[in-house]
Amino acid sequence: MRNALFTTLTIIFLAAFIHIVAVLSLPYLAPKNAWARVTALTDENQMIVLPAASPSHQSLPLMAPDVRYGVCRFNLDNGPVRLSTQILDDLWSIAFYTPSGENFYAITGRELKRSQIEIIISTQNEVGVKAGASLLDEIEDLIVVDSPVREGIALIRAPLLGPSYASQTEAALQQGSCSKNLPGASLQR
Amino acid sequence: MRTLLKFLLIFITALTLGLGSAWYMIEEGSALTTSHLGPWSVWHSAGRPDADPYTKAYMARAGRLPITSTSALYFFANSDESGAQMTSDCEYVIDGQPLNAAWWSLAAYDGSGRLIPNKANRHSFNRTDVARRADGSYRIVLARSARPGNWLPTAEQGSMKLVLRAYGLREAGNVLNKGASTRGLPTIRKVVCK
Repeated sequence: MRNALFTTLTIIFLAAFIHIVAVLSLPYLAPKNAWARVTALTDENQMIVLPAASPSHQSLPLMAPDVRYGVCRFNLDNGPVRLSTQILDDLWSIAFYTPSGENFYAITGRELKRSQIEIIISTQNEVGVKAGASLLDEIEDLIVVDSPVREGIALIRAPLLGPSYASQTEAALQQGSCSKNLPGASLQR
Repeated sequence: MRTLLKFLLIFITALTLGLGSAWYMIEEGSALTTSHLGPWSVWHSAGRPDADPYTKAYMARAGRLPITSTSALYFFANSDESGAQMTSDCEYVIDGQPLNAAWWSLAAYDGSGRLIPNKANRHSFNRTDVARRADGSYRIVLARSARPGNWLPTAEQGSMKLVLRAYGLREAGNVLNKGASTRGLPTIRKVVCK
């Protein structure tokens, strides 16, 4: 009897341990998480427009068929990265992610209230903030995003107001850029 | 020999239970991570940096990049109001009320998450392109052949699922609140099966 109880407890304890290890390790073991997929799609520090979701192709799982996406996989190892894009509608948004898919910052067109935006992505408490601050004279309304990670993803979502908006929306996203060329770099030289 | 066998048996049982329960809680969700509102289920901490380990594991497996759940929610449905699995063999009527969100989109996918090929090239309806009645409510019909109004085409065969994205959801907490229950979320009713 005591033996059976002991066996049961052992199984429960061991199963709980395996359960916890499995859950905690999955984010590091999952081979096809969003970061792996985006890495396969694009080089770092450049903006790409994901092909529209279709029955035969989706760049990321369960993409919205009526949203167009612009992606920048940023790397801040060599300093801040500048993201420029048009924002054609209040409904557009830009969301920033860590490699494990945590959305640490997001801003919508409604909050931006303008159609052309410049964002400086920099690591926390770093030169980017200073660079950004010194440039504020040059460009009004520059947004500085403090990133908790050196590598991550910026994802622009552009919902289509109707099927006829697709080409216009894609063209606007194509104009966007992601680069190491900070505004005012020419002035500093 | 018997002792070794016993240890092996204990280990295999524990492994099955541990991995099985982990898989289930990550794949299907649990009271800790997901809310059920009628036919819709939602991972209520998806995308949040302070999400629990189950939600993080789910997100890593899902490979999606959801907006933090404080400003957007993603509702999934693979069954109708009665709880029966949705299939292309049946027609469904989706009735919705105005949702308190900046934008929403309701898209149909097959069981494995692919968009369903159709001549109309129609995969979703959203806040801006759905035809609505004067009071803001709308009806979408899921069927194989064309229907008047908001027709969302389904496949020749197989299961399917719906994803309702709500961006800029005001009072996201209230939507998840049991008291507010299914308020604003569309109902999915089976009409006829072939």
